[in-house]
Amino acid sequence: MKKIVFSLSLACAALLSAPAMAQTMSTSDALYQSFGQKEGIAKVMDKAVDRWMADPRIQPYFKDTVPQRLKASLTEQVCQLTGGPCVYKGQDMKTAHAAMGVNKGAFNNLVEGLQLAMDEQSIPFTVQNRLLALLAPMNRDIITK
Amino acid sequence: MKKLTLLASAMGLILSTGLAQADTNKLLLTGGVSSITGSAGGGLTPWAVIGTNATESEVGVSAYATRAKTQDYGLTGYGVAVGINNRVEVSLAQQDFDASPTIGLNGVAPFGVRPNQHIKMDVLGLKVKVAGDAVLNSDTWMPQIAVGLEYKDVRPGSLQPVLDFLGTKTSGTDVYVSATKLFLGNGLLVNATLRSTNANQNGLLGFGSGAPGKNSRSLQSEFSVAYLLSKNVAIGAEYRFKPNNLEALGRAAGLGNALAEDDWKDIFIAWAPSKNLSITAAYLDLGRIVAVLNPERRKQTGYYLSAQLAF
Repeated sequence: MKKIVFSLSLACAALLSAPAMAQTMSTSDALYQSFGQKEGIAKVMDKAVDRWMADPRIQPYFKDTVPQRLKASLTEQVCQLTGGPCVYKGQDMKTAHAAMGVNKGAFNNLVEGLQLAMDEQSIPFTVQNRLLALLAPMNRDIITK
Repeated sequence: MKKLTLLASAMGLILSTGLAQADTNKLLLTGGVSSITGSAGGGLTPWAVIGTNATESEVGVSAYATRAKTQDYGLTGYGVAVGINNRVEVSLAQQDFDASPTIGLNGVAPFGVRPNQHIKMDVLGLKVKVAGDAVLNSDTWMPQIAVGLEYKDVRPGSLQPVLDFLGTKTSGTDVYVSATKLFLGNGLLVNATLRSTNANQNGLLGFGSGAPGKNSRSLQSEFSVAYLLSKNVAIGAEYRFKPNNLEALGRAAGLGNALAEDDWKDIFIAWAPSKNLSITAAYLDLGRIVAVLNPERRKQTGYYLSAQLAF
């Protein structure tokens, strides 16, 4: 019994310590700055969208997409999300993806493309993960099948 | 023999499903690695993740080989797993435990243990994800939760009289629930597993015990933490609490703590050089394993190396 209590408290300590660190970041624009502000974000989105369009696994989802518009829209969205001085005026994620039929595999492919784009722009791995943690919950609105 | 045939046909099935579906789309390392009993997880404990590269509406397969070596013992293991819809995982594993030092047990009693005796164990694993998503729901506390079982069948060879003496059975089933959460923003993965088991040394020394009050199941907890250094490298540690059902028998036989069983610990590094290959290396501390066999009753520490192919 003592062992179980000890191990449960171990687990709780581990679970509690992690998000506390994350929360201290969200109120500032530190992440926005880490990406090199709007200019840096635009470069990442430029590379990411180009990768998605060239990826045979997810290409079909973008057949009606105008790359320049998607890049601009994503830049605004990520700028705002990371604490930058932007206001995203595009569609909410649910509406935007309602008819696309994105599954989890395609969502993961999209994440991979974004990771490679961030690698290409030399965004440090820990900074990448902080952005991915803000984007990943959108899977609930984007994945529809 | 029947088991080998089963394993072979399972492998055939797996290979054919693997060929049938080439596109699997899990993110790197999010299917874990192969644990010693074949289910996806860390090295010593299963996680709530479903193994292979397959995500929802996909079928994937994986195969692994593992070698572990401590001062007195060695373990070779291999197995296969199928992941279906990121929901169900079926795994088969075989362990070959080099128990050569147990010939020394003949000095305790005339057991008739033969030289170079190995203990072999088959493990059939089944795991079902019941809730959550370990990776993507990074804005909630909700972990991925899975329930699983491990049916184990052990063949002790000439050690059978020893198992009879200890009053242990040669097969048993562990039942567990695992919760896994990736704190994505911090690159930190945490797993907790609660296991109901009556296995001694994970089953290699049989199941249950002839000692009064030590024959039944107990709840044991297991923990892993892993930190992502990059997309394809993770480091971490594990702690697996274990039952101690045989020590009382050793004491009753006047052998002191000779049959004590300790918790298992490891620190590990996992590296995925490609989407289909991962390699895990670990330093193990398995505590005492039939410590009557070495004069200092030392604990067993050593290395663990495992390679996994996943599709």
